[in-house]
Amino acid sequence: MPVINLRVEKMARFLGRPVAAEEAAKWLPWLGFDLEEVGGDYVKVEYNPNRIDFCSYAGVARALKGFLELETGLPKYHSDEPKITLNVDKAVSDVRPYMLAAVVRDIKLDADDVVELMEMQEDLHWGIGRDRKKASIGIHNLDAVEPPFTYTAVEPASVKFVPLGKTEEMTPKEILEKHEKGLAYRHLIDWASKYPLLVDKHGRVLSMPPIINGELTRVNENTRNLFLDVTGPSFEAVEKSLKVLATALADMGGKLEKVTVNYPGQTLISPNLEPEKMKLRVSYANKMLGLKLSMDGAVRCLQRCRLDAKVVEEGVLEVTIPPYRIDILHEIDLVEEVAIGYGYYRLEPKIPATITVGEKHPVNKLAETARQIMTGLGFLEVMNFTLTNERIHYEFMRLKPKNPVRLANPVSAEYAIMREMLLPGLLKNLAENKHESYPQRLFEVSDVARVNRRLETMCERRLHLAAVTCHSMANYTEIRAFCEALLANMGTANWQIREAKHPSFLQGRTAAIQVNDKEVGVLGEIHPQVLNNFGIENPTAAFEIDLEQLSLKSKIKT
Amino acid sequence: MAGLRLHEKKALMALRSFDGKASVEDVAEKSGLAHATVMRAALTLSERNLVKIHERKWNVATLNEEGEDYAQYGLPERRLLRALLRLGGEASVDEAVREAGLAAEIVPIALGWLKRKNWGVIKGKKCMLNVKVEPSLGADEKLLATMFEKRSITIEDLSRELKQALETLRKRNLVELEEKVHRELELTEEGWRTAKKGLEITEEVTQLTPELITSGRWRNVKITKFDVAAPGPVVYPGKMHPLQQIIQRAREIFLEMGFMEIRGPLVETAFWNFDALFQPQDHPAREMMDTFYLAYPQKGRLPPQRLVEAVAKTHEDGWITGSKGWRYKWSHEEAKRLVLRTHTTAETIKYLATHRKPPIKVFSVDRVYRNEQVTYKHLAEFHQIEGIVADKNVTLRDLMGTLKTFYMKFGLEKIEFWPSYFPYTEPSAQVVAYHPKLERWIELGGMGMFRPEVLAPMRIKCPVLAWGTGLERLAMIELGLDDVRMLYANSLGWLRRTPLCQ
Repeated sequence: MPVINLRVEKMARFLGRPVAAEEAAKWLPWLGFDLEEVGGDYVKVEYNPNRIDFCSYAGVARALKGFLELETGLPKYHSDEPKITLNVDKAVSDVRPYMLAAVVRDIKLDADDVVELMEMQEDLHWGIGRDRKKASIGIHNLDAVEPPFTYTAVEPASVKFVPLGKTEEMTPKEILEKHEKGLAYRHLIDWASKYPLLVDKHGRVLSMPPIINGELTRVNENTRNLFLDVTGPSFEAVEKSLKVLATALADMGGKLEKVTVNYPGQTLISPNLEPEKMKLRVSYANKMLGLKLSMDGAVRCLQRCRLDAKVVEEGVLEVTIPPYRIDILHEIDLVEEVAIGYGYYRLEPKIPATITVGEKHPVNKLAETARQIMTGLGFLEVMNFTLTNERIHYEFMRLKPKNPVRLANPVSAEYAIMREMLLPGLLKNLAENKHESYPQRLFEVSDVARVNRRLETMCERRLHLAAVTCHSMANYTEIRAFCEALLANMGTANWQIREAKHPSFLQGRTAAIQVNDKEVGVLGEIHPQVLNNFGIENPTAAFEIDLEQLSLKSKIKT
Repeated sequence: MAGLRLHEKKALMALRSFDGKASVEDVAEKSGLAHATVMRAALTLSERNLVKIHERKWNVATLNEEGEDYAQYGLPERRLLRALLRLGGEASVDEAVREAGLAAEIVPIALGWLKRKNWGVIKGKKCMLNVKVEPSLGADEKLLATMFEKRSITIEDLSRELKQALETLRKRNLVELEEKVHRELELTEEGWRTAKKGLEITEEVTQLTPELITSGRWRNVKITKFDVAAPGPVVYPGKMHPLQQIIQRAREIFLEMGFMEIRGPLVETAFWNFDALFQPQDHPAREMMDTFYLAYPQKGRLPPQRLVEAVAKTHEDGWITGSKGWRYKWSHEEAKRLVLRTHTTAETIKYLATHRKPPIKVFSVDRVYRNEQVTYKHLAEFHQIEGIVADKNVTLRDLMGTLKTFYMKFGLEKIEFWPSYFPYTEPSAQVVAYHPKLERWIELGGMGMFRPEVLAPMRIKCPVLAWGTGLERLAMIELGLDDVRMLYANSLGWLRRTPLCQ
């Protein structure tokens, strides 16, 4: 989740009154923030990705103002009529078709604001733009260039400009090949024959979306007038990004001015900051929240969340939603606004009246029984991960590698496949506990996975039990006694223990466990080579059983 | 005298028969006790002031193998001297050694001591004697002979000259020294009084046997008193893993509350893990950075088309739900991709797809996966406490009540519900508990009411309360851990010594 560090002194400027860190820390969680850190003069909070409008002080402040009832209801955003024109060339339709823009005049930025602006831009790139894929933003010093502007696409080596933070001119082709941002985002355009470019009246480059701005329009503390551009292949994302950005800049003291955007065959006036309207049945809100709010009561809750509402028919409110609230999709989202405005802290927990009968899952009953027997036999339970690797799972066990369930993107080579058996994990546990006193008797009742093409997910989850006994005198006789005790007490009928071969066990001291003539497990003394592979110094005997095969009464499907 | 154990009584009686004074060896022989047992008895008796232990220590020296060898054949330098005399007082070293019959390894010793005793000199390869007649035996050689004859000598009895000779032999590594101790026991006045009264010698046993019990002979023996405060041997019981105990406790609570347990596969299609939960296909959580996708097998099958189409439409434009939807083109192929489930909510929604009739209360405490680097805070594989309540009139407050009850039963008293966000619930909240020791709020997990966009394709008509909270976080609080990896480290010491959770 994105993080924003709020200094109370700056916050106070936005709120119009002083605020202490403790006060902010007390209320912010009730607006949906997670407290990361509370300092003497700052609060570091995380916000949820749906509330991307919380990426600026302005965004947090307007919510907090409503919540503290310093200013409630819909914030109004005025924008002056357009003076500047942006032409969108049809050449961009093949690479990054949409651009919207806005102008912000008479803004005063200090060094800190400039940094915040950059952070906001990055948060929007991530939150709405999906790492610039759906939308990306350029913020420019308007006074460095001259309108009208043109959003076009050019041959990769046909122009040269100085990219932001550099001193030498580069062609778009060179930027993709050498510039750090070019390398990071080239995949978004390098497949096209022409690259997007935003230029002014004289062909001077403002930016090369979505890669980098030009040095020419760099924003600093002296910048007074801004030109905002947002481009992307998703009109929706482009529009949302601009709404959040423009409203934040207006709250920071800028005067918004519209831009005429000429698409081939269509003219748009941007930004569109017209509040959206959505209906809310108050009875629906009351039903979901367990409240008995009146119409007025519901309106007050919504206003505390910076929305507005009026009664349009019996029991129905028409809710006005500020342009930066891009997260509201459905009436239910307004219900949550009512709840937040009411205060989650005021919602009194109650126990549902719903009566149902509790029941354990049959597989877990089986697991419980097995655990009870094994602990009764003096075995200690361990819990290993189901993810493992082929070296331990097959090589150490003297087994030929099979085709296990395999991850496409393992986080480390250590956890790359899903285990098909539990024993390798138990042997690893023994190897890692050589300093502890013996005998060591361990067991695990847990999941293994294997490929099964008959199932919807092509994979099968099964419940296994494995046990090991490790000490200077451990042998087949001992483990067989334990295994028989298990089978007998599980109530298994028709079981047999027959001589068998298994590469992980000593030949002549290996047996298969059969139930109704079907093999369900293996039992024996671990092969000394396997012990050497793991670095285990004591004789070890073990068994592993597919527990689900033991339950004959109810055949369990997973 | 009360409180004396059998071997102590026996030792006391034996001493009396020796007129109150005897060596440990004599007492052992007389009483039939082992030497060590007599010593143990003597220590206890002396602590009780019944016996005095007199100790005498002395040192003895004995020849080692090499020493005995020299005692019989003469010191190497003496043998070389004699050989040279036979050869006329001068010869090459090789010749002299051959004549003396010295083994190669003692030749340097012979030459060295010949020079040191000033009997001869070595010039180049020649060896010449300084003496014409054989010198008489030195103190060292006399001592050697005596020791060979007597086997061992008491060092304290030696004259000064012989003590020096012994030192020479010791430096030549020919002797072994040993300290001897002689212990004599003597009855004290108190001891006499006790012994004179006579002691009843009854057999004492340390272990009851079947024979003693069945024969009734236990009546005639004395059962040894144990030092009951002494530490006993350590044994470890077989038991469940502490995390498993907490899983069982969590299951138990939901069962107590009337919930039915469900269980599903670890590998899921993206459809059930994400799409059915209204998570858009370009949602960051679906990226490779957060979710484990499978390389083999890669894709699974989708459920019946009617359901798939309803989910697809809901994503694209909201379908019949009144929602705006996510406004993109939904992909079947993306939905078929297999993942290790990132939450057990995949199972819950699958259950709802086939169980539409309220009331429904189901839960699971089961394994989930996230593509995370394993650190003290995060695991790639962990457990989720999951559940839903679906009924006509349930509300957000009922959800809060359910979770609050669950955590109160776990002993967490201070629970709050903060607004939060999940793509598939609205309203959403996170459960936080105040940790009195850490003095801060701990996030336990998420909850909310399933969105209409989630319920409509499943044809569910009533509100559904849902939660998915962390088990490991709860376990860390319960077990006082600050590194989550401990839960899966399987450190035997920790497992053996961690008390059962109650």
